[in-house]
Amino acid sequence: MAEQTPVRQSALDGHAVAGHHGVEGAGVTIAEIPDLVLWQMAAWSDTIDSAASKAVQQAGVESVPGFTSASGDHRRAVLRIEPLKFWVFGASVSSESAAQSVVLDLSHSRTHLRLTGDNATDVLNSFMPIDLREQSFPVNSVASTALHHVGVTLWRSDAGYELFLPRGFALSLWELLRDASLQYGVIVK
Amino acid sequence: MSASRLKTGGHIDRTREIEFRWDNTRYTGFKGDTLASALLANGETIFGRSFKYHRPRGVMSAGVEESGAIVTTGKANRRDPNVKATTQEIFPGLEARGQNAWPNVRRDCGAVNNLMGRFFSAGFYYKTFMGIPPFEWGRKGTGIWMQYEKLIRRAAGMGKASREPDPDHYEHGHLFCDVLVVGSGPSGLAAAVKCAEQGLDVLLVEQDFEFGGDYLNHSSEESLRKRDAALAKLNSAGARVMSRTTAFGLYDYGVAGLLQRVTDHLPNPEPSLPRQRFLTLRARHTILATGALERHFAFGNNDLPGIMNAHAADAYVNRFGVLPGQQVVVATNNDSAYNTANQLARVGASVTLVDARTAIPDSISGLLGTRGVELVTGSTVLNAVGKRHITAVELADAVGSGWKQGPTRDCDLLLVSGGWSPVVNLLSHRGVRPQWDHDNCCFVPAPTNEAITSTGSSLGIWGNSDCEDAGRAAADAAIASVGNQTNTVAMPAAGGWETPLQPLYEVNVDGVSKKSFIDPQHDVTADDVRLAHQEGFVSVEHLKRYTTLGMATDQGKMGNIIGMALMAEALGKEVPDVGTTTFRPPYTPISIGALAGRAFGAHFKALRRTPMHDWNLEHGATMVDAGLWQRPWYFAREGETITEAYIREATTTRKTVGLCDVTSLGKIAIQGPDATELINRVYSNAFAKLPIGKARYGIMLRDDGIVMDDGTTWRFSDTDYFMTTTTAHAAKVMVWLEELLQMRWPDLKVHVTSVSEQWAGVAVAGPNSRDVLAACIADASVVTNDALPFMGVVETTLANGAPCRIARISFSGEMAFEVYVGSDHANGMMDLLHTQAMLVDGCLYGTEALGALRIEKGHVTGVELDGRATIDDAGLGKMASDKKSYIGSALRKRPELMREDRPRLVGIFPKDRSEKFKAGSILCRTDKVAGHGEGWITAVTHSPELGHWIGLGYISGGHEHWADSTLVAADPVRTGNTEVEIVSPHMVDPTGERMHG
Repeated sequence: MAEQTPVRQSALDGHAVAGHHGVEGAGVTIAEIPDLVLWQMAAWSDTIDSAASKAVQQAGVESVPGFTSASGDHRRAVLRIEPLKFWVFGASVSSESAAQSVVLDLSHSRTHLRLTGDNATDVLNSFMPIDLREQSFPVNSVASTALHHVGVTLWRSDAGYELFLPRGFALSLWELLRDASLQYGVIVK
Repeated sequence: MSASRLKTGGHIDRTREIEFRWDNTRYTGFKGDTLASALLANGETIFGRSFKYHRPRGVMSAGVEESGAIVTTGKANRRDPNVKATTQEIFPGLEARGQNAWPNVRRDCGAVNNLMGRFFSAGFYYKTFMGIPPFEWGRKGTGIWMQYEKLIRRAAGMGKASREPDPDHYEHGHLFCDVLVVGSGPSGLAAAVKCAEQGLDVLLVEQDFEFGGDYLNHSSEESLRKRDAALAKLNSAGARVMSRTTAFGLYDYGVAGLLQRVTDHLPNPEPSLPRQRFLTLRARHTILATGALERHFAFGNNDLPGIMNAHAADAYVNRFGVLPGQQVVVATNNDSAYNTANQLARVGASVTLVDARTAIPDSISGLLGTRGVELVTGSTVLNAVGKRHITAVELADAVGSGWKQGPTRDCDLLLVSGGWSPVVNLLSHRGVRPQWDHDNCCFVPAPTNEAITSTGSSLGIWGNSDCEDAGRAAADAAIASVGNQTNTVAMPAAGGWETPLQPLYEVNVDGVSKKSFIDPQHDVTADDVRLAHQEGFVSVEHLKRYTTLGMATDQGKMGNIIGMALMAEALGKEVPDVGTTTFRPPYTPISIGALAGRAFGAHFKALRRTPMHDWNLEHGATMVDAGLWQRPWYFAREGETITEAYIREATTTRKTVGLCDVTSLGKIAIQGPDATELINRVYSNAFAKLPIGKARYGIMLRDDGIVMDDGTTWRFSDTDYFMTTTTAHAAKVMVWLEELLQMRWPDLKVHVTSVSEQWAGVAVAGPNSRDVLAACIADASVVTNDALPFMGVVETTLANGAPCRIARISFSGEMAFEVYVGSDHANGMMDLLHTQAMLVDGCLYGTEALGALRIEKGHVTGVELDGRATIDDAGLGKMASDKKSYIGSALRKRPELMREDRPRLVGIFPKDRSEKFKAGSILCRTDKVAGHGEGWITAVTHSPELGHWIGLGYISGGHEHWADSTLVAADPVRTGNTEVEIVSPHMVDPTGERMHG
C-alpha cells in the first residue's frame, strides 16, 4: 500500500499552456500556484480573539488581521474572510475544542492563481466591481467578490493578486482571465 | 459643388493621407478627418436618404446630433448601420456607403415617395392600412396590416445590420475615481486640471477622438495652446484621460456608464483587442461639461443638402480645413453666428448674415464689416431653393411680430443658428428635470442634491472664457464635495451674449406652403406636430409617440425643442408648460455586443466542471448540462444509441457494478457545539440521536410545510457533520442554513461551509460494489458488511494513499457506496475504481442510467419535489417526526396539505407493455381526457429490470385508489394518448433487499 498521498492534479491540468500569449510585452502574468494548503478556522463571538491568536500562532504570522485584511506574506498568511472566519494560507491549523473553534481543510476547494504585472488590475477590473486602486486596496487587503458571477476571494499579497477560485469554475474563469489578458501580453505559468 | 479643402489650416495631419471608400468609390482624406469632413473636402453633397420621403440629405452638423449624414460602415459581418459620418474617423481601408436608398443615395428610386409626401403625414400608415376597407370590414385583427407592414418596412428604414454573427469581441470593465469629468472642452479641461492639481484622482472622458471640445473649432493658436497646456498638466498630475469614450448614462450613487471605442478607428486591429469596452465607473463626484448643441429652426426645405448648423462650419473650417461653401448665407437669431460668419469670410467665402433681430449693437455688427460680411437685420430664411443641393434662399422680412416674403439670394451653403440647447441628457438620467431659461430660450440643468455639477455651456454659459471659469468653479464644488474645501471661484451666470436671443422656431408667411422639418431623421415636419394637436394630442409624451419626434437615433437632439415650441404655440402655452421629455440612457447608441461583453458563446455563463470532467470525457462520456455543471449523460460504446447505452449501463449496474460521478451533489460542512441541534431543527425526521459513524436520509421542509430538499447527512464527531444536498438545491440549502443561523438562531454555535468543491464523489453501485471498493482502499476490512453496514460512514485511505470518506448509501437501490476524496485526487480514485470494476465486467454510468435506476426504485428528485409536494405527497410522511418541532412542522399539517385526495407519488406502467409514454403527460380518466386530469407524469424510463417503460408521477389519492384501473396518459401535443396503469412507486425491489444485502 502507498505510504504517501498521491500527486495532486489541478483543475487546469492539460489546459493551461505555459508561455507567452497575446501581443508583445508582458502586461500580465497569470501563474497557478499548485498544491494549495488552505484551512478555515471559525470561532464564536466570545472566542474569536483567542482563536484568532491561536490561528496566527499556528500559521507563523505576526498579527491578527482586521476585517477584510490579511497578515503574513505570499508564503504564509491569515486572511479574515468573515467576521468569525479566518483562512489560514500555507499551513494547517487545529483546534482543541469545538467550544473554542472549528477547523476545516479547504485545500482542494480552490484553485490558486497569482496575477502580477502592470495590467493585472485592468484584467481583474474587467470582471470585478471593486476598487483595486492602491489607496483603496493596499497590500494585504482581502475581498470576497465576484468574477463572471462566481464568488471568489481576492487577496493582494506582497507578491501580487492572489485569487482563489472555486475549483469547479476554475478553468472557465481562468480562460476568461487569459482571454482578457491577451491584449496586454500575458505570460502563463 | 463648392465645398473644398482649404490649402492651409485645420488640425488635420496633411502629411498622412488616408485612402477610404465611399459607395464603392476611392477617396482620400487626412489623418484627423471625419468621414463627413473628408467627403465634403472631396465635393460630396448627398450622404443619405431620409427615412420616409427618401429626400436627399447632406451634412447637417459636425457632431453626435447629426441627422443627415447617417451611413453604413464596414461590410459582411462587420456591417454597422446608422453611423454618423460626422463622428466616424477615417482610417485606411474604411468602407462606407449610403443607406435606405437604391441603387445609391445620389440616384434613389425611393425618391418617388417624396412626390406623395403630402399624404404621408403622422400616423398615415396605421390610419390607412389598418382595418382597410372593404377587406377588413367587420373583422378583428391586423392580418392584412401584417402584410403591408413588410412592404412599408422595406421601403423605409434606418439601415440594415448584418445578420451574421458579430466577429468582434467586447469587454466590460470597472473604473473608480474621485472626480469624473465628462467632456474635454474649455470648462471640462479647466475643471479637471484644478481637481487633479488638488491631488484628486481625476478621470476625464471625451467622446471625440480629439480632446479639446470647442477649442478645436477656433482658428487661433491660443485655443490649441490652452488645450495642450491643460492636457500636459493633467498628465503631470497623474489624471487619467480617455478619448473615444462616451459617458452614455448616469446612475445611482455616482455610477456612470462609459463606452470606449477601442478599435473602430483601426484598419487592422490586434485580434486580442476588444472592439469596445463597456465600462462601469464609480466616482465620488461627477462634473458634466457636456457642452451645448446648436438648434436649427423650421423653414421650407430646411433639410436640403448644403444646410447645416452654423457652428458646424467653424469645425469644418478651423478643425478640418474644409470650406463647406463659397457663397454663404448665415441665418441666426443670436450672437454666436457672428464669429462663424467672420471665420468663413476670413478663409475667402462670400458671406451674408441675416439676423432675425432688428437691433444689433455695433460691438457685434462692427466686427463683420472688417471681413466684408454683409449684415441684413430683421430678416431670416423662409424657404431653401434647390433640388439636390441648395442654390438659393428665399428670405422673410420682419413685420411686427410676423414675417413677410422677402428677396431671394443665391447661395451654395446656408448656415442656421436658432439658439443653443445645453446637453442636459446625463443629468436627466438622474431624474432631474431641466428648467427653462427664458433669456436664452433653452432648458438648463436644475439643481441637484447629488454629487454632480454641471458646468460650461451645458449650464447655458456661452463664452469660452466664462466656460473656463465655470470649469474651475465646478472643480471647487467637486473638491468641496470630496475633500471639504471651500469654493474660491464663483460660477458665472448663464448666457454671455450682448444682444438677447430672439425666440425663433419656425418661419411662416401667410399663403406660403412648404415642408419644413423639425426632426429630419424621422421626417417629422412642423405640420405633423400641428396635425397631432388637431387630432387631440396635447401631452408632449403623446406627441412624441404619435409623430415619432425624437425617437430616431439622435433621440431628439435636433428637434425636441422645436417640436415642443410648436406644440406650445398650438396650445397657447409657454414651452416649459408643455413639459419636458425625459432623456434616458444611452446618450448615443451602444452596440449590443458591448452590453454582452465576454458573456457569450462558451462563456455565456461560467462552466462548472467536476474534478473528473476530463477523465469522464476520456472514457467516452457524452456530457449534459445540469445547472452550471456538466455531468456525464451516458457512456456510449461504439455504435450505441443513447437508449442502448443507458439500458446497458443500468443493466450492468444491477448485474455487477457501475460507477457514477456524483460530485455535483451539494456538500456542506456543519460544525460546532450546536451542530446536532441545528440539523435536528432543519430536518423533518429525527437526527438528535444519529450515532457517530452513521449517515441518515433527511427531508427538509420550507416554513410552509412543502418539501425544500432531501439528502443525507453524515456524522463524524459530536460536533462535525457532512450534509449532502441535491445538485439543483445546493446553493439554496446553503443560503437557507446561513439565514437560519444569522437571522433566527444566532445563539446556536454552528458554522456551515460549502465543501462542494473540496470533495470529488463517485457512486459505486451494484452487487459487486463492495468487492470493487475493497480492492481500492488501503484497508479492506473497513468496508465489510459488519464494519460498514447500510448507512454506515467511515474515513479511510485509498490504496494510492489519498484520504477518503465513504458512506454506504444507495440511490440506485443496489448495494452501493458513495466515495469522496479531495478534488485533486479525483482522477486517481477513478483510475483505481475503474480498473477494478472492469475486472468484474462493470461499467461507468451517466445521469440517464442514474435516472432509470432511481425511477425503478421510486426515489424522488427535483422533478418530484417541485415546490408543490408535501412530504406525504412524496410518500415519505412516515419519516416525519411527531415528537419534535422543526421547520415546517406546524404548517405541513394544514388541512389543505393533509387532504386524502391530494396527488400522491405513484408508479405508472403502460397497459400494453410494449408501448411507451412521456414525462409531462397528463393522467386522465379514460372517459374524460380533458382539463388538468387526475394527475401528471414526472419521469419515465425504459426499465431494464422490468423490460418495459415505466414512469413516476402524482395522482389524486395515490396508487391504492387507482388499483386495477385504466387511465390515459394524455400527451396531446406530442405523441397522443397511451393507456396506463397505476402501481406502487417502488417498482423494483420494494423491500430493499438488494441495498441492504
